[in-house]
Amino acid sequence: MDCKKVRDRFSSLWEKELMPSEERIVREHLSSCPECRKELERFEKTMGWLRSAGEVEVPEGFLPELYKKMEERKRAAPAEKVRGRWFHFPLSLKLPAQAVAMVAIVFLVLYLTKMMPMEMYRPKEAKQTPSPLSVEKKTEQVLAQKEMEKERRVLETTPEAELPRPKDVDLAKAPVPREGRLEEAYVPQVKAEAKKEEPPSPKTDEVVAYQRIDSKEAARAKAPSPRAGKIEKGWVAKKKSVMASKAPQEIILKISDRGRAISQLHELVKQFGGEMVTIEGNVFLASLPTAFLPGFEKELAGLSVPTQADKVAAEKQVTGSLRAAPGAKKEEVDEKSKEPEKPAAGQESRSLVRILLIQE
Amino acid sequence: MKASPRVQKEVIECCKAGDEKAFAEIVLHYQKKVFNIAYRMLGNLEEAKDLAQEVFISVFESIKDLKEEIKFDAWLTQITLNHCRNRWKYLKRRQYFNSDSLDDPIETEDGNMPKSIVDSSDNPEALYEKKMVQQFIQSGLLKLKEDQRELLVLRDLQGFSYEEMGELLGLPEGTIKSKLHRARMDLKEVLERSAH
Repeated sequence: MDCKKVRDRFSSLWEKELMPSEERIVREHLSSCPECRKELERFEKTMGWLRSAGEVEVPEGFLPELYKKMEERKRAAPAEKVRGRWFHFPLSLKLPAQAVAMVAIVFLVLYLTKMMPMEMYRPKEAKQTPSPLSVEKKTEQVLAQKEMEKERRVLETTPEAELPRPKDVDLAKAPVPREGRLEEAYVPQVKAEAKKEEPPSPKTDEVVAYQRIDSKEAARAKAPSPRAGKIEKGWVAKKKSVMASKAPQEIILKISDRGRAISQLHELVKQFGGEMVTIEGNVFLASLPTAFLPGFEKELAGLSVPTQADKVAAEKQVTGSLRAAPGAKKEEVDEKSKEPEKPAAGQESRSLVRILLIQE
Repeated sequence: MKASPRVQKEVIECCKAGDEKAFAEIVLHYQKKVFNIAYRMLGNLEEAKDLAQEVFISVFESIKDLKEEIKFDAWLTQITLNHCRNRWKYLKRRQYFNSDSLDDPIETEDGNMPKSIVDSSDNPEALYEKKMVQQFIQSGLLKLKEDQRELLVLRDLQGFSYEEMGELLGLPEGTIKSKLHRARMDLKEVLERSAH
């Protein structure tokens, strides 16, 4: 047996684990090899030190300190539990939850991305959250912008006509959670202001709504956004083409004698080969051949009060919330369905015109 | 194993039920063993005390998961070793042992003792006579690899059997024996180098 093999057996020799025959061979080698003998001596010394190292006494106050630590741990545990609870959930729960969260984030991002143009479009208007996909709402926005432009022109000629009222501007900035509520919130105030300026007259909700738009537009006209202008043009161009075939025109007439104006209106409609569809207060819905529409508009403008003769017309998509009688709505829908996009040969294309009378 | 006889099964069961008195009994029974393993593994009394307390907190928190009360000793040792490994890694990362060498002051129960006392001119016998062997061995142990130190602590300082060590470390007995022998020879080399 060589030195290396003998030295590899030192541990076994020291623990008396060697077989007697093997031990004898090792001992024989040791007796003849002083180097290995010396190495064994060192080894045994080391083992002696190791075994005699003894145990260290536990510091005093070990147990009380332990209790103290446990108490601290108990107090900190609830917060840690809440924080670390998610990490202890099994993957079978965590993965679907993460997937759902991811999908939700994607939809949210898409939703917000679609919202952006609308928000840029009227940044100062009430912070409503209309449905981003609603074409009706977008159309309303376009109409409001167009009206605003016209109103701006009016303001240039008649400075004191419809100046923006600070209250309205403030209101426009105020956050209102829902569109419906917004309208409700505006109505009493606008009505109150209208009382100051105008003699009491029968008003429809449309008129009130119109005035609301006026004030907002005026506020907006103060600081028009160049970017919004670009978008506006795009929208208007796009929407005009859509509305040409579908949407009724809305014409607002400022009159002094209501009775006379109504009779003149009826005559005009008949004159242009049209008919009154519905009459509700100061709101008239008339059906006219599309070809005669420009002439009709021109004539209508003549009925207006001469001083404020500017007819403010806006093209507005008739929505489900149109303030016409339910029967009329149905008629209108029926009429729409009767009117194809491209009229067939021999069929006359007709358009709906909504006329609002405002008494000066 | 040098440790005193096992605590009664009933005590462990009471501790499982959340009985703090039973827990205190367990702590008093095993604190020395746990503390010593920790001290030999880390070489620092304060760290060892803190670690031993952490071990007992872990025991209290997870004893309800212990299925076989008879294996409590092995389970406790396993927890202690796991804590030691983690703490060693943590301290190593923080370069806690960077300055540690056989020439550094050796921490004793009475405080730090300058290395000058452990003069290289002194032979090991003299050291032994001066009852410095314990610290001398401790400093040697810290020079070894962690797994080697573990083997020496369990077998030569705590008196575990090869079978127990096999269970604890998940190694065959033969492997443990050969590794242990290697560790002893390395310790011998380390101590000789420091003594001369």
